[in-house]
Amino acid sequence: MTSTSRIRRDAEPLVRVEHLVKHFAVREVQGLTMAKNTVKAVDDISFDLAEGETLGLVGESGCGKSTASRCITRLEVPTSGKVVYRGTDIARLSERELRPLRREIQMIFQDPYSSLNPRQTVGAILGTPLRVHGLHRGNEKRRSQELLELVGLNPEHINRYPSEFSGGQRQRIGIARALAVEPRLIIADEPVSALDVSVQAQVMNLLSRLRDELGLSFIFIAHDLGVIRHFCDRVAVMYLGKIAEIGDKRHIYGEPQHPYTQALLSAAPDINVARGIAPKERIRLIGDPPSPIDPPSGCRFRTRCWKAQEICATTEPVLEDKPGGGDDEPGSVRHDIACHFPEIKTTLVAEVVT
Amino acid sequence: MTAQPHADDPTVAVAATEPEPIPAARAGKDDGEVVLEITDLSVRFPSDEGPVNAVQGLSYQARLGRTLAIVGESGSGKSVSTMAVLGLHNPKRSMITGSILLDGEEVVGADEQTMRRLRSSTAAMIFQDPLSALHPFYKVGGQIAEAYLAHNNVSREVARKRAVEMLDLVGIPNPQRRAKQYPHEFSGGMRQRAMIALGLVNNPKLLIADEPTTALDVTVQAQILDLINNLQMEFGSAVILITHDLGVVAEVADDILVMYAGRAVERGLAKDVLAHPMHPYTYALLQSLPSTHEDQDQLLTIKGSPPSLVNLPPGCSFHPRCAVRDRVPGDLCVTQLPELRPIGTRQVRCHLADPERVLEEEMRA
Repeated sequence: MTSTSRIRRDAEPLVRVEHLVKHFAVREVQGLTMAKNTVKAVDDISFDLAEGETLGLVGESGCGKSTASRCITRLEVPTSGKVVYRGTDIARLSERELRPLRREIQMIFQDPYSSLNPRQTVGAILGTPLRVHGLHRGNEKRRSQELLELVGLNPEHINRYPSEFSGGQRQRIGIARALAVEPRLIIADEPVSALDVSVQAQVMNLLSRLRDELGLSFIFIAHDLGVIRHFCDRVAVMYLGKIAEIGDKRHIYGEPQHPYTQALLSAAPDINVARGIAPKERIRLIGDPPSPIDPPSGCRFRTRCWKAQEICATTEPVLEDKPGGGDDEPGSVRHDIACHFPEIKTTLVAEVVT
Repeated sequence: MTAQPHADDPTVAVAATEPEPIPAARAGKDDGEVVLEITDLSVRFPSDEGPVNAVQGLSYQARLGRTLAIVGESGSGKSVSTMAVLGLHNPKRSMITGSILLDGEEVVGADEQTMRRLRSSTAAMIFQDPLSALHPFYKVGGQIAEAYLAHNNVSREVARKRAVEMLDLVGIPNPQRRAKQYPHEFSGGMRQRAMIALGLVNNPKLLIADEPTTALDVTVQAQILDLINNLQMEFGSAVILITHDLGVVAEVADDILVMYAGRAVERGLAKDVLAHPMHPYTYALLQSLPSTHEDQDQLLTIKGSPPSLVNLPPGCSFHPRCAVRDRVPGDLCVTQLPELRPIGTRQVRCHLADPERVLEEEMRA
């Protein structure tokens, strides 16, 4: 179990996202003309992140998890809403005002092949953020070597090019680059999903170690539910630009209440089936997620939901704490569900007898 | 209104909850006819740095009614070996030795005419990315009909009907209308269904699915795996599933073949191998997976990364990364390539006499 002592919930949250919206204008062929449509990638989400905490964002492609994280790093300008980082709303800051904050929020990308400049040496890749922020002036090389050592690479490889490294090693370079400017918050967008299974565990362990040693906070995006469970303290499940359910990982995995969370957990292939332990219940959704250009009215999950009633089409469910469940115990983290008919299910993952 | 408000509209998806039988619990159907028999297959490609040994000394069989999962990391040779089955390697740029008997016919060295006959009618392949595997300029129904026409002496009209039937069979709602659409009008999951319809249109004895669900979302992946499972039961064909996801293997496979650096390292019943892995690589791979149902402090890792296929380490290819190498006396692992040797119902390529016991001891330590 990851230690909860590193999380400081009593203090002001590190990040507070309030009613964040990001819409993209797209032009599509419709009949003989071009139609202007809006992709509602992120549509009014709110959450906060305590200092030292790791929040996992999980959901299927197109659910807005990457867009949300790019708004927090201000790689995208939010359409509306607030991103409050340590008391400052950064959603509308100018590039000049953002510069000092950029140092504190860094990003790790999914693809270690396209996120490193192939024509720069590792030394140049790691030295650039130092120069930009005026850190370790005159000592950039030594600092770069320290960083390589920190992420488990040979400091002597500073003059090599990315092509001379394997996928896992490249991802380590990407991590070192993010750590170069001593950030407080790291946004990791699918940092291990492009890696082979045997290398994935190495990078996960590296991230865990760095988090403990450097006291980092993380927003961690993945589609692999096992990876999320391993690394995160709290989990937000997203569906079509909305948060469907958010809470402590124990509650999300142990007693999910939103039908979509339940379906997602139930669909994840489970190795224990081979050990003769099968989950008691299986949920199979029909069809694909609808398009974020024209999401269903009311609850966005209702077109694939087996519990949907009339109210689901007319009234959008509010993301709120529902009675029942382990989060009612004192000292627990809030568990919010956006559903008209939440119900605790504990039979979706195979019980492991130890 | 009922609990399923869209039950009458086939274009809108409706969710269902149903308990499923446990696929991996299926056992004892090992009497199926052997459709594919691969013996001592090696595939080499020339490169600037020297020959790439993509597959070496690989032997396995696929039987009717059973699903064989071939598991391995990128570069382990899992796709290369199955592409050889369909003769998809350019003979000028590859060197293939050994024997591949597909329904009794030798594929290695076969001419293009033979291969055309065998492809689709005897063995078909489903690819990872259906958008690039389907032709973007032709209607989906037309592509399926064309595959049917190529192997059956029927009229266009019959072939078109057959295409619609196939789309219906793989669970595409509104197959009449869908058959007249182009691949880009299909969603990812629908495209993969269309791909499966195309693969099965000539009722092949062997279906090779190369990472069929890797590009799909989890909930859609579950649907496609169920579909492949159900169709296999219906058609009774042999299925080879290539994947890197051991969870997928647990859900659908009967047999498993684990590959590392171009060689088979472990072979056996899927449920046995996943529950009690014997090769140190399989073992470490299973241990390194983060789980959805238990908390782990640290993930067990395999040190280093997979070797280059141009320059394989001497002896056992896995020895530089092996955690139990010191349990083998002398430097046998470095000097001698272990044979794929039977242990019970299993075949394991390891010098350890009783790898399972050693791995268990290592785990406790």
